[in-house]
Amino acid sequence: MNESPVSTGESTATVSSGSAAGAVPRARAGVARWRWAVAGLLLLAAVYAPFQLVPFHVFQLTMVLVYALALLGLNLLVGHAGQISLGHGAFFAVGAYATAIPLARWDVPHLVTLPIAAGVAFLLGLALGLPAMRLRGLYLALVTLAIAIFLVPLLKRFEEVTGGSMGLTLPKPAPPAWTGLAEDQWLYFLALAVALVAFGLAAGLLRSRVGRALHAIRDNEAAAEVMGVRLSYYKTLAFAWSALFAGAAGCVYTWVIGFVSPDSFVVTLSITLLAGIVVGGLGSQAGPLFGALFVMFVPSISQDVNKAAPGVIFGLLIIAVMYVAPTGLAGLAGRAADSLKKTLRKG
Amino acid sequence: MNELVVSELHAGYGGAQVLHGVSFTVGEGEIGAILGPNGAGKTTLLRALSGMVKGRGSVRLDGVELLGSSPDTLARRGVAHVPEGRGTFMPLTVEENLRLGAYVRRSGVDADLDRIYGYFPALKPRLKQAAGSLSGGEQQMLALGRALMLRPRLLLLDEPSLGLAPLVTRELFRIVRAINEQERTTVVVVEQNAHLALGIAQQAHVLETGRIVLSGTAARIRADEQVAQSYLGYRV
Repeated sequence: MNESPVSTGESTATVSSGSAAGAVPRARAGVARWRWAVAGLLLLAAVYAPFQLVPFHVFQLTMVLVYALALLGLNLLVGHAGQISLGHGAFFAVGAYATAIPLARWDVPHLVTLPIAAGVAFLLGLALGLPAMRLRGLYLALVTLAIAIFLVPLLKRFEEVTGGSMGLTLPKPAPPAWTGLAEDQWLYFLALAVALVAFGLAAGLLRSRVGRALHAIRDNEAAAEVMGVRLSYYKTLAFAWSALFAGAAGCVYTWVIGFVSPDSFVVTLSITLLAGIVVGGLGSQAGPLFGALFVMFVPSISQDVNKAAPGVIFGLLIIAVMYVAPTGLAGLAGRAADSLKKTLRKG
Repeated sequence: MNELVVSELHAGYGGAQVLHGVSFTVGEGEIGAILGPNGAGKTTLLRALSGMVKGRGSVRLDGVELLGSSPDTLARRGVAHVPEGRGTFMPLTVEENLRLGAYVRRSGVDADLDRIYGYFPALKPRLKQAAGSLSGGEQQMLALGRALMLRPRLLLLDEPSLGLAPLVTRELFRIVRAINEQERTTVVVVEQNAHLALGIAQQAHVLETGRIVLSGTAARIRADEQVAQSYLGYRV
């Protein structure tokens, strides 16, 4: 149990920091300050970037935020609660359609679709959380995979509502005149705002009693239960929250792309998402962001290297990352930062 | 009154019955030791008491039936189980482990943390450390401290001596005794190290192949030559 894949770089860092009673809290405060500084710099860069990049690159960054949002949800479920889902693309798709259908049929304002998509995905997550109460590991993986598989034909079947294979084309949210922003920039800032709120929500959730209960279930179900943690309640809740974030991601996706069709949400999306969070760093706060960068940029970069085999390169890179950094890219970054700090302190 | 009365308890896993009608009583605020060889059903007995395995018969704490409730419900009623292998949440910090112990309560948690440091001063400097990095003895103390965070009425200890150095084990039993005296917690301790368990218990019960074959005061069990040789494996 010691070599649990979810132990993050930071926890090893605190373990190694001196045994003297006073040194420990000081080291923690240092880590916290350092983290805030990094977060602040990242935010500054995130706000500055769209004014420096060409629209296509702004679009790519927007998609990174969309994936990060979906991975944030998956991280909650897989990284923090220790459950598995091979069908998270289904929640993403449900969020996308819960956005597209009201937009296409009733022409509702875009912002209204966000709570709708998140809410519908949350309810679906609750429903699918029920099997999670009884199933574990491979069995749970298979059930969630089945959901991802049957969703596409289901979307095609109900053509009157979903537009069938042709999909639905929708208006994108228009930037208000006072902002002076171009469409790609406006979409980017919308995605950024949703992502910031979601990351804040998830961080708060994980710091609370709920977060501790999820971690306890992940690390030792039986021990968690004898301590009074109700397993069925938290497993279902983890599914629901996780689905909520994936649904929100599907919503923003629809805003950005302006088009949904069943073939955008095939099973590979679910598998890509799972690969993304494992590569990014399970159970780490930065994991979803790293995973999203990987999922977004690796296929397109490898396409430049060799047009024939982006899939092969993607796969090989996943294997490579798992070998070099079993705690994911976030763990790797944490280790790099630690050794950098050590060198600085010595120098 | 936190008297524990177990009567005609049957329990097992699927088709395999492990306990065949176990009956014993542990008085309010007393320590009851369950002794016996490997495979006697000691761990299953504790699991049945905390709801981890289903059982038939009756288990009453303060006259209220415990059998048939889920482990989390029993935790809410004050049954704290330190499971075999300690159940430490390795990646979590020592403090997070302790706070999880008080999971069923929202108030008074910080005060209870201080109470735990009183019993286990060694844990205090390690609060922010990953629990997996503690030594075996420290992990056992953490497991005990975590169980106390529940403010238990009934404390179930499964082989606290397992894998620990004799000196550490003795210290641990001293603390269990101190806890029992100060908090008036009713304790059931399952042990292979009969000598230590008999040293802190008032009553002892010898379990063999799912049945209690001998019950009595700790002093009497200790004095019983035949018990010592057949069940405890050595002369005490």
